[in-house]
Amino acid sequence: MMQVRLSHYMRTLGEDLRRDWQLYLLVAPMIIWFLVFLYKPMHGLQIAFKDFSIFRGIEASPWVGLAHFQELFANELFIRSFWNTITISFLGLVFAFPVPIILALMFNEVQNALARRWAQTIVYLPHFISVVIVAGIVINFLSPSTGIVNTALGWFGIAPIYFLTQPEWFRPVFIGSSIWKEAGFESIVYLAAIAGVSPTLYESARVDGASRWQMVWRITLPCILPTIIIMLIIRIGNLVEVGFEYIILLYRPSTYQTADVVSTFIYRTGLQGTQYDLATAAGLFNAVIAFVLVYTANRISRKVSSTSLW
Amino acid sequence: MSAVVISDVVKRYGALEVVHGINLAIEPKEFVVLVGPSGCGKSTTLRMVAGLEDISDGTISIGGREVNKVAPKDRDVAMVFQNYALYPHLDVAENIAFGLRVRRERREVVDKAVTEAAQILGLTEYLKRKPADLSGGQRQRVAMGRAIVRKPKVFLFDEPLSNLDAKLRTYMRAEIKRLHRRMEATSIYVTHDQVEAMTLADRIVIMSNGHIEQVGSPMEVFLEPANTFVASFIGSPPMNLVDAMVMNVDGVLHGVIASDDGGSNQSLPLPEAFAANAREGQVVKLGIRPEAMTVHAGEAPTIDCSIDLVEPLGAEALLHGRVNGQAFIAKAETPLDTAELWSVERLGIDVARMHVFDAETGKTLKTRG
Amino acid sequence: MKAILKGVSALALTAALVAPLAVSAQETTRIVDEPLELTMHFHFRDKYVYTQDWPVEQVVAEKTGIHIRNTASLATTSSRDAFNLLIASGNLPDIVGGDAGPTLKDDFIRYGLEGAFIPLDDLIEEHAPNLKAFFDSRPEVRQAISGPDGHIYFIPYVPDGKFSRGWFIRYDWLEKLGLEVPETPEEVYDVLVAFRDQDPNGNGIKDEVPYFARDEVDAVRLINLWDARVSGSERYGDFAIYDGKVRHPWAEENYKVGIGHVADWYAEGLIDKEVFTRGSRSREYLLGNNLGGMIHDWFASTATYNTALADEIEGFSLRPMLPPRTVSGDRFEDARRQQVQPAGWAISVTNEHPVETIKYFDFWFSPEGRILSNFGVEGLTYEMVDGKPQFTEEVLTSDTPVNAQLWEVGAQVPRGFWQDYEYERQWTNEIALEGIEMYEECDCLREEFLGVALNAEEKEIYDRYWPSILTYMTEMQQTWVLGAEDVDTGWDAYVERLNSMGYDRVIAVMQAAYDRQYGAQ
Repeated sequence: MMQVRLSHYMRTLGEDLRRDWQLYLLVAPMIIWFLVFLYKPMHGLQIAFKDFSIFRGIEASPWVGLAHFQELFANELFIRSFWNTITISFLGLVFAFPVPIILALMFNEVQNALARRWAQTIVYLPHFISVVIVAGIVINFLSPSTGIVNTALGWFGIAPIYFLTQPEWFRPVFIGSSIWKEAGFESIVYLAAIAGVSPTLYESARVDGASRWQMVWRITLPCILPTIIIMLIIRIGNLVEVGFEYIILLYRPSTYQTADVVSTFIYRTGLQGTQYDLATAAGLFNAVIAFVLVYTANRISRKVSSTSLW
Repeated sequence: MSAVVISDVVKRYGALEVVHGINLAIEPKEFVVLVGPSGCGKSTTLRMVAGLEDISDGTISIGGREVNKVAPKDRDVAMVFQNYALYPHLDVAENIAFGLRVRRERREVVDKAVTEAAQILGLTEYLKRKPADLSGGQRQRVAMGRAIVRKPKVFLFDEPLSNLDAKLRTYMRAEIKRLHRRMEATSIYVTHDQVEAMTLADRIVIMSNGHIEQVGSPMEVFLEPANTFVASFIGSPPMNLVDAMVMNVDGVLHGVIASDDGGSNQSLPLPEAFAANAREGQVVKLGIRPEAMTVHAGEAPTIDCSIDLVEPLGAEALLHGRVNGQAFIAKAETPLDTAELWSVERLGIDVARMHVFDAETGKTLKTRG
Repeated sequence: MKAILKGVSALALTAALVAPLAVSAQETTRIVDEPLELTMHFHFRDKYVYTQDWPVEQVVAEKTGIHIRNTASLATTSSRDAFNLLIASGNLPDIVGGDAGPTLKDDFIRYGLEGAFIPLDDLIEEHAPNLKAFFDSRPEVRQAISGPDGHIYFIPYVPDGKFSRGWFIRYDWLEKLGLEVPETPEEVYDVLVAFRDQDPNGNGIKDEVPYFARDEVDAVRLINLWDARVSGSERYGDFAIYDGKVRHPWAEENYKVGIGHVADWYAEGLIDKEVFTRGSRSREYLLGNNLGGMIHDWFASTATYNTALADEIEGFSLRPMLPPRTVSGDRFEDARRQQVQPAGWAISVTNEHPVETIKYFDFWFSPEGRILSNFGVEGLTYEMVDGKPQFTEEVLTSDTPVNAQLWEVGAQVPRGFWQDYEYERQWTNEIALEGIEMYEECDCLREEFLGVALNAEEKEIYDRYWPSILTYMTEMQQTWVLGAEDVDTGWDAYVERLNSMGYDRVIAVMQAAYDRQYGAQ
């Protein structure tokens, strides 16, 4: 029975391939990319459960069960880095997520095409600056002796603050500078969504007597809400991931307590110490949490707003 | 006092002028339809009235007040759009209430207005639905409901039925007409469909290329088209326009249709109302409506023709044929055997219903008054 | 084994037969008669690979008959990645060498134990007189590179010279303020306060930075004044040996005292406020702007500021000073050059010519090989003067640094070789040499902890606990210095926390490994 169905399936598949081979050819690069770069490496995830030696290879390395995970959860620094990751992401969600939306709404209100183009270019630009340079700029700006921020604080009689060595300042600095770097570029998605709103909705609202503010609140925002929700779900999926390059450039031992995140933990203990198996275990744990978060967010969104990723 | 006065209004986009100084006065409670082919400037004119487009030149007044610089919301107009312009995230009740909400009307007022409008439009049971769950006709009614609750001085309709299928369009057309009877509000309605224009309008404004070609009641523009454009635009199938030359035959001015193949010329006497303005040798177009032709040639003047296609429509049939090489369409009652129609060789012409236009200017030769 | 020996004796026989016919000058260095090509993976400093084009390599190939063909790809921009990829591929060339970060020593040992590289002890004993002599004269190096099984799996790059960093102070500022070179912690304090308050740079602004540093190791270097150590080796935060016992300097009682004082000094503005964030440009910036007073940094490069800034800052004189005496009256220098680099080369298990290869390795430790690996090629980069190699004037006066010129010819690359400090002395600033001499006389260098090779069980303990402990200690060090917490109130909790994090267990395995490795002494 099973075989009959399978052979039937294979036959129709073969027919489909013959008939629509051009279409399959078009989709082939993407499928190959997925297989080679996303699915094949999954095979390597098993080293999270092995005592891995790169010389012996994955197959020959002995199984150790959940030892690496036990080691991770027994490590209070890992636990701390996990909560730091969640905290930074969550604060980023609260403070950084709305900014591109607000920016997009603001751009949309700029009527003069030239002014608008300029404004957009100016806020996109930081996105193209390497994080290394951004970190350099941040460090310079926040320097207690020569930094512009502390100089400005000085005008108000505020003593210089050594921002980058104080744990309580790390998150504001990190999130603030990330906003500066990425918000403009991220606003592109929302601008595109806004461009997709039918102009007659606005005309109708104008005739009906809505002010510009009301149009933003009652038309633009609700109309781009699906986009916002999709972006939010994606963002929630990344809640356990904070890009480590930028953190590594900004943090110091004195700010580890708020700045050390899972990826930097993995970097420090895993990769610098060549403990690939432990690093993989931490990464796998992260991925599982991320999956649960995305799945949950998607479920909630589908229930509440009928918008969802899948 | 007129409800809406459009005087010498010009619309330019950069160097391109799309409306060339039109004048129109609309009376209170009047239902005026702007009709014309796409690109004729009718929508632009409507949008200038609404305030969605700036007026390049001239003035528009609503209720005696010049509104050139008045924001749309302060013009006291309501507009119904072709694609309904419903807010997808709001349900029917909220959509209808939108205009009142943004004006911060009191809740009871809003609710009462919505209930009323819903009743008028038969939307009561759909109030909690989202636009996506409605049919095209229902959506259009919601759009109208949104206009109604505002109780504006002027209703503006921008091709509101174009997105509906033919059957629904006929139905909604009647709805709108009824609604207007009931509301008695001044309405300006834009369409490219002459049937809609004829059925709905108190007065039709026929536009082409940014000009007004003719303004008049539906029957006026039908019976007395001011020019060939109006003549061919109003009526379905359109009026046949046959090239002819004015000649004096036995002391009576005739329109002579020249033969294209050396055969005999054919001629029709010009109706008196036109003959006065015609002169011998003038090149004209004879306007003959398909229904002014008959297959039962009696005493009336006739022309010879050849039929190359018969389209039976049921009660009547359309005959496509040629008179001295010029194409025409005639309408005839359908006999039991349509084959009869194929053999028609001569058509009787109701000359009294014939129009004559100057071929060069396209203007009618009819004496006014 | 037998087969190899057979082959060797056969070869040796042929060599012996052919030898009299060979040109006499090459007789002693020739390893094989017929040119033999060996493959080698050699990637270093993240952007260079071994090449036969190096003049040094050409000379050696001619002398030994061994031709090396590099298999490492220049396209890789990380020597560590290149090494890892090689190991993971399992496709090993005859020789694996180069550098790849601080863990390469451990990697050679680890993969040696797993069977990737062969133990070299017997080969050295039988075929490598120069290496044998070297290891006999430097038993601590042998111990330092041995695996937990007592075997040697690679021939290291052995640096020469003792001193790396030392104390420098602005002598012109001292003179201007009428102060002596500080000799005790109290005097250091007074000098730094004077630097801070008495406007030694004379610009009328209180902008002097009394003590500053470039690297983390030197940021807290002043704890030396209270007998505390920064690290047991050049690696930041390494273990140290206290009377044969492995301990960590940052868990010692004197560290509490030292870091407490450093925190006070930091709070008082005697230490650069931005010492943890200014980074590697701080020395250039603070000296160039006539702001910095005292620093602990590399002798050679720090001394060059005297010439570089001579025109810009009148009387600029930043000279070495001896480490001040500590509170207990001791005097010591904590920083020194590594005696063994985690770099060098090893013989793969797939190598079919281990004897020839070890002879080749041995060549680099011969007098001739040392000159080649240190000074390059005679006539090209150096001339013999009084029987000693002396860099040519051209090399010494070129715009390109001497060491960069040497890399280009294939000298001073991280193969398994024995560095000769003479190579560096010839182009080191007078002032730096003066300082090194001063330190040499003082003879106050602390012993270096050379590291231990952990066996599998020990390594598991170490890997489980140590990274977190080190992170925590670093974190607390800055927390205290920056004044976020008082050392005196936090110390007990700190020690307790270290213990709960497994400090004692790590120390126990380190001690066990240390005893195994160096216990024979």
